[in-house]
Amino acid sequence: MVKAILRFVACCRTAGYRVSTSEVLDCISQLELVDLLDEAGFRAVLRANFAKSRREQAHFDQLYHLFFHELRQDISLDELDPLSDKMDKVLEKLQEKANGNRSHRAILDFLSGNPLAFLEMMRRIQTEQIDMGQGRKFNLGPLSSRLEVMVQLNDVRDEIDRFLSDNPLHFAAGTRRDLASRFNEQLENAFALLLREPRPHNDGLRQVKTHDQYLRQLGERPFTSLTQKELEQMREIIDKLVRKLKDVVSRRYATNKRGILDVKKTLRRADRYQGVPMEIRFRKRPPRKGKIVTLCDISSSVWAAARFMLNILYSLQECFTKVNSFVFVSGLAEVTDIFETEEINHAIEKVLKEVAIDYQAPTDYGETLRHFKRDYMDLLNKKTTLIIIGDARSNYFHPEDRILGEMREKCRRLIWLNPEPEQIWNTGDSEMFSYKPHCHELRQCRNLNQLIDFVEELIL
Amino acid sequence: MKFKDVEDVQEKLQKAEYITSREIATVVFLASATGKPILVEGPAGVGKTELAKAVARSLGLQLIRLQCYEGLDESKALYEWEYAKQLLYTQMVREKIGDVISGAHTLAEAVDRIASQEDAFFSERFIQPRPLLQAISSEETVVLLIDEVDKSDPEFEAFLLELLSDFQVSIPEIGTKKAKNIPFVVLTSNNYRDMSDALKRRCIHIYIDYPERELEMRIVTLKIPGITDRLATSLVDAVRNIRELDLKKRPCISETLDWARSLLALQVEDLTPDVLVTTLNMICKYKTDSDMVKVNAANLVNQAR
Repeated sequence: MVKAILRFVACCRTAGYRVSTSEVLDCISQLELVDLLDEAGFRAVLRANFAKSRREQAHFDQLYHLFFHELRQDISLDELDPLSDKMDKVLEKLQEKANGNRSHRAILDFLSGNPLAFLEMMRRIQTEQIDMGQGRKFNLGPLSSRLEVMVQLNDVRDEIDRFLSDNPLHFAAGTRRDLASRFNEQLENAFALLLREPRPHNDGLRQVKTHDQYLRQLGERPFTSLTQKELEQMREIIDKLVRKLKDVVSRRYATNKRGILDVKKTLRRADRYQGVPMEIRFRKRPPRKGKIVTLCDISSSVWAAARFMLNILYSLQECFTKVNSFVFVSGLAEVTDIFETEEINHAIEKVLKEVAIDYQAPTDYGETLRHFKRDYMDLLNKKTTLIIIGDARSNYFHPEDRILGEMREKCRRLIWLNPEPEQIWNTGDSEMFSYKPHCHELRQCRNLNQLIDFVEELIL
Repeated sequence: MKFKDVEDVQEKLQKAEYITSREIATVVFLASATGKPILVEGPAGVGKTELAKAVARSLGLQLIRLQCYEGLDESKALYEWEYAKQLLYTQMVREKIGDVISGAHTLAEAVDRIASQEDAFFSERFIQPRPLLQAISSEETVVLLIDEVDKSDPEFEAFLLELLSDFQVSIPEIGTKKAKNIPFVVLTSNNYRDMSDALKRRCIHIYIDYPERELEMRIVTLKIPGITDRLATSLVDAVRNIRELDLKKRPCISETLDWARSLLALQVEDLTPDVLVTTLNMICKYKTDSDMVKVNAANLVNQAR
């Protein structure tokens, strides 16, 4: 039993879970307390100990099903499966003949009930970083590795078919049929694993689709279709919005001012008055220094909205002490300094024209995320709110959503504002579906009402 | 007081008016048997907090609750000095100091005498225990509910680690206090932010989702004895349909119950779209949400029939 659990743990680890030794110990000691023949209970124990957040549970269930239902286990509590012996023999023969190909060996191991190597291979494919060489930025790396495994899977299937029809071990016809179907079933499993791309199950995601109608006409006009006059009006309203944001922030400071009595200081002060505590000292708690990091797409596809977004970024930076603002097209540029020194309209003009990035380059979110990881990852900690503004249209470059996952783990909250209408997310080159599982909050933000909604509900 | 086995948990919790799925019961049983904390996740209003209360009721234990929020610190969670008494004490010391050092011949002797006095200023005498310290130092086993732990600061989360793994807390002025009885700890989280691995490692995890249809029926009929089966069925179905809509806030179990109570109070026998629209404010708490339900009212209830 313990051996089976340990093997399962090894699988979990190769699949990317962090299972610690103490959790394994807990799990094993807890298994002694439940009825092992009751599968629901058994599963509940494993799940409670190994998948410790909602995000991991769905993937865990798949692994569990794979390991305990689809793979052959030596621990079957019923009588031994008569086929299993024969399968072993077949596989032994095949292994003797096997060539040195790694994926080929992994598949044979998988068939004999040891999925570790195969899972490892899957994980490698899924997490594969494409190399940074010029001109090879497309999503081909993982694709071609997948293709290779597929070829190997087919090879193995052919080999087994050939082996069974040659029949050197002299099985009866019925056994041969059973064996063939059993092998096929498992090859199908392997195939399904290969095609599936696990994304974390993210139903904690706060996805805001509806919004209050603050302003009737102007509020509903998308940023992309505003007349000059409306633009002016828009500015005024945004000014108001910014003032509101400042109010909210200063209120926090105000309530935080009141501290509690600091006895040590009061007594030390009392020495001056012969031990009478004349002066009462309070301990002042500084307000939580929320940090904000913003990434704003300023490529041509979001040009119209970017202007408004930069407005909000600028005011965020005015309100909070620690804001790092970045803009990107294909690679990042920090604009914190520009926002700090320039007046708002100048700053925005400057950002849209003079920052050291290639404005003409095709948008590449993957490159941007890689760049962030390389140079700025240490900006993120558990007090940082990360706000990303962009349409996630990445021109079919590698989205690198795993890096976004890493960023989520490091920060407090990840909010994504998308200036496109929701109906066209996930169409064309939009990578919203790969980024979505990693966000804490996801909003459409294409008109003023939605922007107001965001500021109203912004919790940092 | 402990649970005997998983069935016992289900039985006792049901007596305490809390109906669980088997998975939840298993986790509760394991936690009580091994003394590990439970980390409960799930959407708002599915009964995460109620689980802790029900465990306390069913085992006849005292419940100590710590509500977490941003800025919660040790002085509110663990202990606080009783300043007023401490200040009075300093006055007393000032008056008594003469008695203590009278008759001392040298300065050194006087200092020695002062040093030999009990150091009461920072002692348990003047300590005011807050929820965590109460739970640790209680003579009886208690249920400790740390509610909405995801709302607290990362610092506080780190501070909890010592408590959750060793059931002890350190007070700088006094020393380490170990738990007399290991409390039954329940942490709840709304998933506002991800908890750290270190915290998760110390807990058993359970996710409570909106209940299955049949389970929700049982909850409604248990909590609201006067309700007819027919009304309960159409009510539960309607709520389940409403949850399918794209709402800002989906109605939870407690809102189902509130709604059921208000329908009883209004002596409604049949749930019709009209009734749904007039009693809508029991289940929808946003204007946009109620608008959406109003538009779909006919569908929501008709489907239920």
